[in-house]
Amino acid sequence: MSALREAIVLPLLFLTIAFVGGARLDARVALVAPTLFSLVLATMVIAALVRSGALAPDRLLHGSRSTIANANGAVVLLTLFAATSQTLAMLTPRTGLPLLFVDIFLFVLLLNTLVAMPDRVRLLRSLAVTLSSALILKFVVLAAVSGQTESRMSRVLVALFDAATFGSITQEPEPASAGYLAFFTVAMYLIAVALLPRVRAAQSAELVPR
Amino acid sequence: MREPLIRGAGLVAAIAYAAAIVWLYVTQPQTVAQVTGGFASAVGAYRIDQQAFDDGLRFFRAGQFAEARAAFARADSAERDPRTQFYIAYTFYREGWGRLYNDDALFAKGLAAVDKAIALAPGGRLVVDDIDLQMRSADELRAELQRGLTREASDFNPLKVFRTRK
Repeated sequence: MSALREAIVLPLLFLTIAFVGGARLDARVALVAPTLFSLVLATMVIAALVRSGALAPDRLLHGSRSTIANANGAVVLLTLFAATSQTLAMLTPRTGLPLLFVDIFLFVLLLNTLVAMPDRVRLLRSLAVTLSSALILKFVVLAAVSGQTESRMSRVLVALFDAATFGSITQEPEPASAGYLAFFTVAMYLIAVALLPRVRAAQSAELVPR
Repeated sequence: MREPLIRGAGLVAAIAYAAAIVWLYVTQPQTVAQVTGGFASAVGAYRIDQQAFDDGLRFFRAGQFAEARAAFARADSAERDPRTQFYIAYTFYREGWGRLYNDDALFAKGLAAVDKAIALAPGGRLVVDDIDLQMRSADELRAELQRGLTREASDFNPLKVFRTRK
């Protein structure tokens, strides 16, 4: 991996993701710190990245590297953690049953991924599917049942659905820009993760059981 | 030769960017003026618009409180100057004060503004040298606003109509 990618591209990408991922667009823009559970999930994602060989920590932090190179490596790892936790927090619904179900959904999926020990390509595909599903669930499906609709009939249906579920499903309406911002953040996150230093081929054969 | 330079520059850029993001998370600015003013204030380069401040003071003394607030907001667009925030809080106090009852909404806004002024003042101590004011410290103004928002038995004392606005 080039010094440019390690020292500049990856930290700036991950910091941008951490910044944008924490933005909540309501009447006013608020920057929200990640939840405790998203920190746990982020730890699991990083563990899965390491186990699959998508991230080689020894190519970022090692005794044979210079001090400044190790400092760059540490920054990449720290910013990766911040970006992962903020991305997961952004994709999790804010309240009610959807929050619980999505947290359980992500936890079980990541646990399964950790145990299955996929190789790098499969892990990246799995991560893309997981994050995209969470994005669609929150910003398309839940937004549709929670959002302000134009027609009277739709408003009646939304109100009935809300009453039938005791208000435990519907979320606070989010502006349309929140979905676009989330899409941009997830895409940037997946690109940045794919750019991480991977385990070299010889080591990779030892890592993944065939 | 080139690699250490890239690594050093990257490290500095990442630390500066991370610090800026942490600062944004802590201060939660809402406008670009607040962002730029906050950064300028952090390096001691923030200055209010003196002309707008003087206009605000003139409106304030003439009892035109909405106009005064507009001018003060223009003077301190980043909301980083404790003295201007103090005057904004004072406009809310004077406008919201009533002989029979106070306007709670204005008092609440005044309380928020004076809290901001106290948070911005060095050591949380703010005294304004203005002979036209009866409350010259942020602590006095804050206590008065808080008293105005509190419901208590003395609110029903008919002699309260004789109290004066500070």
